[in-house]
Amino acid sequence: MNRKKIILLAAVLFFLYPAFSHSSQQILIKNGTVIPVEGAHIQKADILIEAGKIVKIGRDLETSPSAHIIDASGRYVYPGMVALMTAVGVTGYPGAGNDLDESGVSTPQMDPFDAINPEDPCIAVTRLGGVTTVMTISGTRSPINGKSVIMNLEGRLAQDLVIKRYAAQIFNMGAKSDGKYPSTLPGVVSLIEEKLNKAKQYVQKKEGIGGDDKGEEGKENESSRFRIDLEMEALLPVIKGEVPALFITNDEVTIRNALKIIDQFDLRGVIKASKGILKYAELLGEKKIPVIWGGTTGIPGRWEPFDLNYHTAAVLAEKGVLFTFDSGGWGPESRNVRNLPVPASLSVAYGLDEEQALRALTINPAKIIGMDDELGSIEQGKTANLVIWSGSPIQMSSRICQVIINGKVIPMESIQTRLRDQYKE
Amino acid sequence: MRNRFIVFVLAVFFVTCLAWPQDLVLKGGTILTITNGTIENGTIVIKGGKIAGVGKDIPIPAGIRVIDVTGKYVMPGIIDSHSHIALTDVNEATDPVTPQIWMREALEPSSDSIKKTLAGGVTMVKTMHGSANIIGGVNVTVKLKYRDQIENMIVLDTRQQLKMALGENPKRLYGSKGRIPSTRMGNAYVMRNAFVKAKEYKEKWDRYEKEKAKGKKDLDPPEKDLKMETLKMVLEKKLGIDCHVYRADEIVWVINFCKEWGIDLLQLSHCIDGYKVPDIIAEAGICYGGWIDWWGFKEEAYDGCPYGFEIMHKAGVRIVINSDSADECRYLYLNAAKVLKYNDIPEEEVLKMITLNPAYAIEMEHRAGSIEKGKDGDIAVFDKYPLDSTSKCLMTIIEGKVCFDYAKESVTVKGGGYE
Repeated sequence: MNRKKIILLAAVLFFLYPAFSHSSQQILIKNGTVIPVEGAHIQKADILIEAGKIVKIGRDLETSPSAHIIDASGRYVYPGMVALMTAVGVTGYPGAGNDLDESGVSTPQMDPFDAINPEDPCIAVTRLGGVTTVMTISGTRSPINGKSVIMNLEGRLAQDLVIKRYAAQIFNMGAKSDGKYPSTLPGVVSLIEEKLNKAKQYVQKKEGIGGDDKGEEGKENESSRFRIDLEMEALLPVIKGEVPALFITNDEVTIRNALKIIDQFDLRGVIKASKGILKYAELLGEKKIPVIWGGTTGIPGRWEPFDLNYHTAAVLAEKGVLFTFDSGGWGPESRNVRNLPVPASLSVAYGLDEEQALRALTINPAKIIGMDDELGSIEQGKTANLVIWSGSPIQMSSRICQVIINGKVIPMESIQTRLRDQYKE
Repeated sequence: MRNRFIVFVLAVFFVTCLAWPQDLVLKGGTILTITNGTIENGTIVIKGGKIAGVGKDIPIPAGIRVIDVTGKYVMPGIIDSHSHIALTDVNEATDPVTPQIWMREALEPSSDSIKKTLAGGVTMVKTMHGSANIIGGVNVTVKLKYRDQIENMIVLDTRQQLKMALGENPKRLYGSKGRIPSTRMGNAYVMRNAFVKAKEYKEKWDRYEKEKAKGKKDLDPPEKDLKMETLKMVLEKKLGIDCHVYRADEIVWVINFCKEWGIDLLQLSHCIDGYKVPDIIAEAGICYGGWIDWWGFKEEAYDGCPYGFEIMHKAGVRIVINSDSADECRYLYLNAAKVLKYNDIPEEEVLKMITLNPAYAIEMEHRAGSIEKGKDGDIAVFDKYPLDSTSKCLMTIIEGKVCFDYAKESVTVKGGGYE
C-alpha cells in the first residue's frame, strides 16, 4: 500500500466516522415500564438500541462498556406518537407566510419535500411533546392538493428528516371555489373524476411505450407521442393503487362521494373526517378503509347530543375501523401538533378503551401510511423512536422526560424552553 | 276573581318549579372547596340558590331534593372570563372606537353554545366583544341559565368590563382600509384620544350637574354622546377594563396607560408575553388571562410559552385560564391539567385558575369560584378527579338548579346514537 492510498483511506475513514460513530453507539434505556403497544406491558424492562434500531427488549440486557445508559426507573417508555395531517416543516415564520396551498384547483405534483425547512422551530416543539413522526401535507384548499411526506423529527437536512417521499395524495371534497369552477360539490367530484380518468389514460399511454404500439409502419405520429406531464405523473401511483388517496371530507355527503370515487377507481383510500362518520363506521370497517378522525373536539350540531363527537372514536373502534386522530382539529396550520393526545383523552372519558386510544396515536397511523414495519410500536427491528414519559400520554399532566428519535437522544430544547430559561430569573 | 286566583296559583307554581334559585343537597362526594382544602364524603346544602352549609356532618334539612354523589368529585362551577359564546354578533369592526356597543344586546339565551358549554362544568362566562377595535364594546358577565330571561342571566352585582385591544388585530384591520390605526403608535394615539375626549365630556357634564345641584335654573344640558357616556362610566370606575394584548411592551404600556387615567384594568387577555414581565403584572394586581399552550398562530403570538405559568406564579401573578373558544370552553379542566405538564405549580393552585381566579377577574369572588357558605350554589360534579384527563362532568348546577345532567343528555350512556 503506498502513501497516497493510505492518505486516501484515512480521509475516507475520517469522513465516514461521524456516520458510524452515532450508529455504532449503543443506547440502553434501563428499568422502565415498557408499553410496546403491540404486546403486553413489561415492568422493569430494558431496551437496547443500536444503529438507530431497537435491537432487544428484555430484562438486565448486556451492553458494551461505552453504551449510553438512560435510567427510566419509575418512568414509562412508549413508542413515539405519529401525527398525520400536519404542516410541521412548512409552517414558516409568522408574517413570512407558510408554504401550504399552491394556487390552482388541481396541483397533485406539489411536493412538500421541496419546501421543508429543517430550521422550523415547530419541529423541536412537536417532538418535545412526544410526537416523533409526522406526515406533512402540501395543503388542503384545492380539490387535488399535492403530495405528503413522512418525517422522523430528527435530522440536519430535509433528506435526513424525510423517510418517505410520497405517502399520500391529498384530495379535498369540500374545496369549492368561490365564483369559479368547481363551485359546488358535484363540480369537485367531477373535477377529481376527470383528472383520475386522465391519469388512467396517461398510465396506458406511458406503459404502451416500448410495446408494439407505434402504428403500422413503426412511426410515431403526433397524437400518440408520449409527453411527460408532471400533474399526471403525480397521479400515476395513486391510480395504480401504490400511493394512498387521502380524502378530506366535512360531512356525510362528502364522505359518500369520497367512498364512491375510491370504489370507482379502486384507490387505496383514506378518509379524513370531522363530521358525519358514524353512519359509515360499519362500512369502513368492512372495506378496511382507514379514518383520520378530526372531529372529536368539534362542537356537535344543535340537534345532536353534546358528546356525540367525544364518543365517536369508541364507535369506530367497536366497528373495527382502523383510525387515528387529527392533532387538534385546527387543520394543518396548527403548530400544536403536540396536542394529538387531547382528542384521545376526551374519547377515553366518553367510552373509548384506553389501549385503543394509545394504538390510535401510534401503531394505527403507522399502518395507515404503510410504515408499521418501521414505526408505531416498540418491537425488535423497528426504528428507535421512543418517548420516556412520567405517566400515560393521555393524561395531560404527564411529562415527557426524554425523546429518542432514529436512536438518537434528542436534546430536550425548543424555542419555548429557551424562552423559559431566558426569563426564569 | 276565581279565574284570577287560578292564574296566580299557576304562575307561582311555574315560577317555583322552573326558575332560579332552588334548594338542593349534594351528599357523599369528595368536595374540592378550592379555599378550604378537600372534604371527603362531604355534604353541600344549597338553599335559595346559595350555599347554606358545607362539611362532613351537615344536617340535611327535610323536604329538599338530595342527590347522592358518593364517589364523585364536586368542585365549584368552572368560570371562563374570556369567551364569545351565546352572542349573535361579536365584532363591530367598522370603527376603532365603539364603546357605545353593549354585548348584552347580542346575548342569545337560547344559543346552543350555552347547552354545550354547560356539559363541561362551566357555570359562568364573561362573553365579550372581539378584538377588531382599540376600544370595543362592553362585555357581559352571565350565568349560563339556558333559555332564561337575559335579566336573570346577566350578573348584576358586578361591574361589567369594557373590551379594549392592542397589537396586530386593530392594526391589520384598519391599516388594510388605509385608516388609522395602522401602527402601534396609531393604536396608542386612538386609545389616548378617546380618553382625552371622554375627560372633556365628563368635565362638561360634571359642571352641569354641579350647577344644577346648586339650584341654578335655565341650564342647557350638554349634548349626550353614547360613546362618551360609556367612557365616562369607565373614568368613574363604574366599568372595568379587559384588554387584549400579546406583547410584553404593550402589556407594560397598557398598565401604565390605565394607571395614568385612573381606570380599572382587571384582566390582560391572551397575554402571550406575560411571563416576560411577571413582576409588573403582579405589582399592578391585574389578572393574567390566557391559554396554556397556544403559540405561533401569528407574529405577536410567536413567543407563547407553556412554561411561563410557573414564572408568573412565582412572581405572584393571579393566573386565569381562558378558552376564547366555544370548543375549548367545554374542557377547561383538560387545559388546567396541561399546566402540570409544563410547570411545577401545586394542583390546588391550578384548580384556582379555572375557578377562583377567573371569579376574581370578573369581581365575583364574593359569590363564586369556591365552595363556601354564603356563595352561590354553582357546582360541577365530575366522575373522577377533574385534573385526571379521562374524567368527565356529570352534573352542572347553577344556584341550586341542575342545568346539565350527563345521565339524561349523553349519547355515551345510551351506547350509540349512530343508528
